Amino acid sequence: MSDEADLYRRAYERERVARISAEQVVEKTTRELYLKNQKLEESLKQLKDQQRVLVQNEKLAMLGTLAAGIAHEINNPMAFVHANLESLADYLEPYQKLVEMQAKALELPLEQQREAQQEIQKFIKSSDLEFFQDELPELMSDTRDGLERVREIVANLRTFARTHTQERRSVDLVAGIQSTLKLLNSQFRTDVIVHQSLQPLPLVKCSISELNQVFLNLLVNAGHAVEGRKGATVSIATRSDNERVYIEISDNGCGMSEAVKEQIFVPFFTTKPVGKGTGMGMSIAYGIVVDHGGEIEVESTEGEGSRFTISLPIEGSESPIA
Amino acid sequence: MKGVVFNILEDMVTEKGGLQMWQKVLDKAGVDGGYTAVSTYSDDELFSIVGAVVEELGIPAEEVIGAFGVYMFGQLASRYPVFTDSASDLFTFLESIDSVIHLEVKKLMTETNLPSISCTREGEKLLVMDYRSPRKLCLLAEGLIYGAAEHYGCGIKIDHPICMHKGADHCDLQVSLTDE
Repeated sequence: MSDEADLYRRAYERERVARISAEQVVEKTTRELYLKNQKLEESLKQLKDQQRVLVQNEKLAMLGTLAAGIAHEINNPMAFVHANLESLADYLEPYQKLVEMQAKALELPLEQQREAQQEIQKFIKSSDLEFFQDELPELMSDTRDGLERVREIVANLRTFARTHTQERRSVDLVAGIQSTLKLLNSQFRTDVIVHQSLQPLPLVKCSISELNQVFLNLLVNAGHAVEGRKGATVSIATRSDNERVYIEISDNGCGMSEAVKEQIFVPFFTTKPVGKGTGMGMSIAYGIVVDHGGEIEVESTEGEGSRFTISLPIEGSESPIA
Repeated sequence: MKGVVFNILEDMVTEKGGLQMWQKVLDKAGVDGGYTAVSTYSDDELFSIVGAVVEELGIPAEEVIGAFGVYMFGQLASRYPVFTDSASDLFTFLESIDSVIHLEVKKLMTETNLPSISCTREGEKLLVMDYRSPRKLCLLAEGLIYGAAEHYGCGIKIDHPICMHKGADHCDLQVSLTDE
């Protein structure tokens, strides 16, 4: 082989060895990337599963808090529905007797009817049927109202407790806020003024059960913040622009220091005493809002009150992949 | 077809006939001929190179492909010893092709058209391989199996009663251990 050809051959051999070595590096790196990617996918799945459990636990904790209040809410109307039905039961016999008496009187010959009618009049007076006759319409409508209230509370509770959170639909957030407020009626002390300034909002694509959880969380916290405050007020307002909707929940309660404000969305952080509150409510609320492509901002002055502003895109965002 | 197959074919041809022969083959096949192991190239390109090799050597295609299979096994085994190291005998190795080897290939490349291979043992000395591929390279598969047998130091005989080239939808490669 000529010198030049020999040089080329040797160069060729070197290049070949270098190429094979480079190929091996590429293969090794690719394999490492693949394994890392697999691990990441596993971790992500685990995290998502854990998150789901946490959200569910938080919901259950919240439901526990609501349960006592709701039992009270249902008990009130049920008490007077029960009382009304007892009254009705009491008057059932006299009414039946009256109908019987009338029927018998109608069968009597004309000359005996007058006497029979006088007997009926006496009976009406002695059994207080006149009074009951006047009361009856109100009694029935009160009973109906009471049962309607119970039905509404149960429906609200059902909506709230629904566990499937993945579905995103276009919903009216104001309706969601109103149903959440109804659930909370019993949570706020009677002297707490709940001020609503709910402007109509465009339909927002979201998971209403998740967002209801956020509103509930903020409202319950506001209720706690105003404990012991004279003229306690919790306000909720809604507004929108072309792209976003805004929900503001504010209170004139104890407010937060800068240090607390910074930590408020951190998991397990809570200012409540041990045994009260899981410390997860705000971080889960934060997670839900961010998941929806939204933002949650907090302003607060210690001793004066706080305001939370949630902004959400009207278009919504894709729900997280299960 | 994974580039490594092209590289090994080049090695075989240059080993037998030098750089000159390989260049002739490339010219005949009408291809540029720069292949890296980590890329994938068209099956047709490989077939035209093999066709050119057959023409150049003047040996029947079946023989060339079979011989390439044997050679290729040796090369693959030295490039990726992990696969032969983890299988203690020929039959275990053949059973690992689909579940281990091809799985590793799929990890490295997203677009591979690998054949589908499944093995069933029938007694101690017989393994039947079900081979399915649109490329119908059953003869290459046979060569690879002979190469593997050489590596594991055992004598074998392959019967090929059912074949895609005869119109079947798969090939049955019956690998019997002989006493050699």
